[in-house]
Amino acid sequence: MNDVVRIPRRTLLVATGALVAVLLALALVMTGVIARAADATTVANATVVKTQQAAAERDVERAYEQAVEQVRKVRALNLAITAAQADAITLKALNDLKALRHSGLVKLGQVLGVSDAEAYATTTEQAFDKAPVSAQPAPTPVLLAPRLYAIAAKMSELATQLSDQATTSLTAPAATPTPTVAPSPTRTPTPTARP
Amino acid sequence: MTPSRRFIALWLLLPALLGAILATALDPRALPFTGHEQISAVFLLDGQAYFGHLEDVPWSGTITLRDVYYFEDARKVTTDLPLALVKRGNELHQPADAMRIRRDKVLVVERVNLDSAVGLAIAAQRALDRVAK
Repeated sequence: MNDVVRIPRRTLLVATGALVAVLLALALVMTGVIARAADATTVANATVVKTQQAAAERDVERAYEQAVEQVRKVRALNLAITAAQADAITLKALNDLKALRHSGLVKLGQVLGVSDAEAYATTTEQAFDKAPVSAQPAPTPVLLAPRLYAIAAKMSELATQLSDQATTSLTAPAATPTPTVAPSPTRTPTPTARP
Repeated sequence: MTPSRRFIALWLLLPALLGAILATALDPRALPFTGHEQISAVFLLDGQAYFGHLEDVPWSGTITLRDVYYFEDARKVTTDLPLALVKRGNELHQPADAMRIRRDKVLVVERVNLDSAVGLAIAAQRALDRVAK
């Protein structure tokens, strides 16, 4: 004799409803809908941004100092060009590098949201002129935020270009007087074969 | 078993036991709406590493990363470290959406500590993004 299990209709409805709710919740979790809706994002506080700013300033300054050092080292060599020419090339390169550092720091100030980026750049330059990065102890390494890294990378690239350009100009061979075309002696008439 | 004991076993002890098992298996920070950000590091078989918000659906052949960052060689740049963090999206093809990675190419998936160098750099990037807006 078979036993018949009777499930009340109400229980069946409640169980079905619960199953649908669980499946719906699972679907929402698994498809990442809930994760995206509830996704928290961490934004750095002022201390972290300050640390990043200091690191980015150091990187810009380091690029400048390395390029300046390269130009000065090459200038100190015994060069083939005249001293006046070498001084002119060096002065131009150093001025270009200063202008590059300034624009790098201005850009940094803009990215950081500094109200007066020009004044910020000037103040930072003066501080680094007094206490260069190369003379300071090695800081705790900082992994830069991509926006700040982009500035440091561009600064490095352009500073290297400027110093390499100056190096090429300084180490160019001295200009020797180009030989002028000497008047050729009048051609002696070649004897023609006589018949 | 009397009905009252059965009721206690079925409706109190069993859920408590299940809850205890789930509590040991789940990371509370991984639950949604807890206010904790989850950044995952996905290391691929070819040595590349990507960081971002991971969506891992078990039945899919791919995993999805959103808000993606990756490392770039920075040995030629005068940064403190010889590598840099780059936000994905500025490449020539300017990927607009999430990044899907074939599951069989993944070597390791790890949680990124928000106080780590990568976590701080990403948080700083967001702060700078807010300034730019």
